[in-house]
Parts: sequence; structure tokens; C-alpha cells
Amino acid sequence: MLLQQLVNGVVAGGLYALVALGLTMVYGVLRILHVAHAGIYTLGAYLGLVFYSASHNFPLALLGAMALGALAGYLIQRLLYQPLLGAPPLVPLIASIGLFILLGDTYRLVFGAQTLAFRAGVAEPEPYRLAGVAITGTQVLILAVAAALLAVTWLVVNRTRIGLAWRAVATDLEIARAMGVDAARAVGLNVALGSALAAAAGVLVAYHYNEVFPAMGDVPAYKMLAIVVLGGLGNPVGTVAASLFLGLAETLVVAYAGYLLPRDAIAFVALIGALMLRPQGLFARRGT
Amino acid sequence: MTTRHLLEVEGLTVHYGKAIAVENVSLAVHEGEWVSLIGANGAGKTTTLRAILGLVRPTAGRIRYRGQEITRLPAHARVELGIGYVPEGRRVFGDLTVEENLLMGAYRIRDRARIRRNLDRVYHLFPRLAERRQQLSRTLSGGEQQMLAIGRALMSEPELLLIDEVSMGLMPIAVSHAFGVIEDLHRQGMTILLVEQNARKALVRASRGYVLETGRIVLSGPASRLQQDPQVQQAYLGM
Repeated sequence: MLLQQLVNGVVAGGLYALVALGLTMVYGVLRILHVAHAGIYTLGAYLGLVFYSASHNFPLALLGAMALGALAGYLIQRLLYQPLLGAPPLVPLIASIGLFILLGDTYRLVFGAQTLAFRAGVAEPEPYRLAGVAITGTQVLILAVAAALLAVTWLVVNRTRIGLAWRAVATDLEIARAMGVDAARAVGLNVALGSALAAAAGVLVAYHYNEVFPAMGDVPAYKMLAIVVLGGLGNPVGTVAASLFLGLAETLVVAYAGYLLPRDAIAFVALIGALMLRPQGLFARRGT
Repeated sequence: MTTRHLLEVEGLTVHYGKAIAVENVSLAVHEGEWVSLIGANGAGKTTTLRAILGLVRPTAGRIRYRGQEITRLPAHARVELGIGYVPEGRRVFGDLTVEENLLMGAYRIRDRARIRRNLDRVYHLFPRLAERRQQLSRTLSGGEQQMLAIGRALMSEPELLLIDEVSMGLMPIAVSHAFGVIEDLHRQGMTILLVEQNARKALVRASRGYVLETGRIVLSGPASRLQQDPQVQQAYLGM
């Protein structure tokens, strides 16, 4: 029973990490709280649905949604955030919230307000059973995709030229430019990668729960904010840790003390607790 | 004079919001020269460098490099022309290792062998950095960070080095070391534009100097003459 909950918790945490990692990366290089990120998550779910309905090929749907999600993120950076960089921080934040609302209403107009089934007519196969733990094919898929994407992201950030540029921009934008970094392009690519991750999470969630609806990004929008604060804003490793922590905490609390709190309240109890006790985040970096 | 102008700044004016930081500043740096820009805190020295680097957009004036107009060229493209920068307060990337800082200096260079060669040259120049290559740069001492800031600038193979306040916040021995390195670089042919509050240090090796006061150039000429100038002596040399 406990093992089962741990598996479920890690699956939830992996999905949170995919969404929250992009948000924290964008905050690191732009110092903007990119609320519209959750709109990209929903976009990913719809794009995945469109591609999957047309092809019935899940990998293709996932990659297609990620590619277009990345493009959307890149355009948001170039067209919305870049022109607002000189403005006080509240301005891009309000713009981001506005964009998030606009995206939600756009999905409502284009796809309708009703909930759509992701894999119509395809039933979930029987779960695998291993030492008393039931794990569905979808859960295995989520774990595998999330682990692979997190690993690729780690490699890009820590082992590539563009990753080095991101880390330099996050520390000192002006000096990074003086060293030859085209900041607008580098930051655009950063938002693109983060958006691809969020789109992937959208596809996985849509497949897992077999539903896509315009407001599906609302709860993740609040939760991802709680997670990046818990993880120490702009800190990728802390964000992944906080995601797993929240996924496990939610699953365990619901399983063993579900009468106390509904699932979606737990993130905010953790957030309030953290802000009171450790406002720098649970996994704040040294020296910051 | 047959020496070529490497850098020419003509009628440069920069505003921060409504406040004027630099007004109608003109200066030139010839190939192989060491030019020092002296003046009190807030006189506009750093702003002048920032404009040359493309980090701030001038409200008026022109900047030319090797005769080419670069006033509107983005900052990242100016590095490739051969302009290196050692910023005030060193501003190393604290969350990056020493070696990653140096690699950032070579950001516009794609040829790995060339990057490797430049890295070896910097490590040869500053053996301390070689010892600490995997260390996060924020754990370095001030003097070591200054070496790193100079080494980082050298990684792009610059022909003109813009150096801002090397002496700031450093122990006297580290200041002497930094100036020693700059003198060596200059002797090997590097063109230097140095900004400094410490006028004595700035003028002793320079070929020419400019004195900035509240955003305007009030005096210029050969460094030896500026050192003898009673105004400069009184205001900047404490005589």
C-alpha cells in the first residue's frame, strides 16, 4: 500500500517537475514570473490531441506538441517579454496573466468549452503488477518520458554552449551580452525549451486522464508557482526536488489523511508553511 | 601621425531617463596606444565604456571602430570586432566555475582548438586560475577574481581592451599585480583604454589621457603633460 502510494506520488511529481522546471528556468534568465506557462501546458494537451487524433501515433503527437509548444514559447518571449524588459517587474507579470487568460479563452473559442476525450475508444490496458504494486502503462510512460526529458534538460543546461549562456545570463545579463551572448535569442531558446517541457506534461496528463479542457491549466498554474517558490526561485534542481516532494506529499496525505485536506490544497499549505519558516525556499542555493 | 585610429568616439551623449550622464564626449584611441580616462566617481567614465560596448544606447554621437560605424551594432557583435571588457567590480559569473567563466569569454569563438589555445594562454598567464579551474568563481579572492576578469576578456582575442577601475576594492598588492599584467599586455601590443579614479596609476604608463568632469571632457593630452598639469595635480593627484 505504501509502495503503491510512493509510485503514484513519483508519477505526479514527475509531471509537476516538467511544468515547474520551465517556469523556474524562465524566471532565472528573465526575472519574470511567467504565469502564461500554464497556458502552454494546456496548448500542449490540445496540440497532442490534434496530432494523436490524426495519426494515432503517440510519440509523434508528443514530439509535435513539444515542437509547436516550443515555438509558442519562443514567440511569447520575442513578442511580449522582450519589449517589456525595461519596464517595472509588475508590467510583464500583468502581461503574463493577461496572456494566460487570453490563451484559455482562445482554446474555448477554437475547441469548445466541453471536455474532450484524448484517446477516444482506446481503453487503458490492465496494469502491470509487481510485488503488489499496480502500475499502469501510462504511469510507466509518464515516468520514462519525464525522466528522459529532465535528463536531457540537465545536459543542455550544464553541458552545452547555450546552457552556459543561460547560466551566465541568469547571473549577470549585461556582462553576458558584453561577452558576446545575443541575449534575446538565448532567452528565447530558454523559454522554448521550458515550453516544450510544459507541452509534454500537457500531453501526458491529457493521455493519462483521457481528457482535455480549456481550464485544465488553472490548477497547475497555481501549483507551479508554489513549487518554484518551494524550490527556491530560479533553481532547477530545487524545483525538481520540490516537485517530487509535493507529488509524494499530496499522494500520501490523500491516501492516509484524505479527510483532512483536499489534494489541491496541500500545495498551498506547504507554500504557506515554507514562506513562514524558510522564505528563501526549501532548497535555496548557497549564498543567495 | 601615421598611426590608425582604432576607436573613435565623436560627440557622444548618453541619458539615463532624463538625467544626462555623458555629454558631447569625443575621444580617440590609436592602435597600440594606452589611453586613460580619469575623473571622479560619477563623472561618466563607466557610461562612456558602456556606450562603446553597446550596453547603453547613446542619445547622440557616433562610435567608429577601425573606421566602421558601430553606433547601432548590438553588444554581442562588437566582441567579434575585437573589443574586450574588464568590468568595474570584476563581475565574474559567481555561479560558474573559473573555467566556465573563461569559456564565456570565448563565447563568440566556435573553433574548439582555438578556445583550447586561448585557455592555455590564460592559465599560463595566471597559474592561480589553472589551480582553481573547477572552483566556483565566487569563492575566489578579490585579486583572483580580477585575474579571472582579465583572463575572461583575453579569451575573445581582443585587440582593444576596455578596463574599468581595476584598483577598486583590491588590496594594494593585487592592484600592483593587475597593473603589472596590463603593462605586459600593452608591451606585447594590446591597445588599452583604461578608466580609473586612481589618476597616478592610470597616467604613469599611459600614452595619452582624458579628464572627465560631470559628463564632459575638460582636459586631454599626453599623459606626461596631464601629470604636470596643476589642475590635475590638485584635483586627482592630491598634490
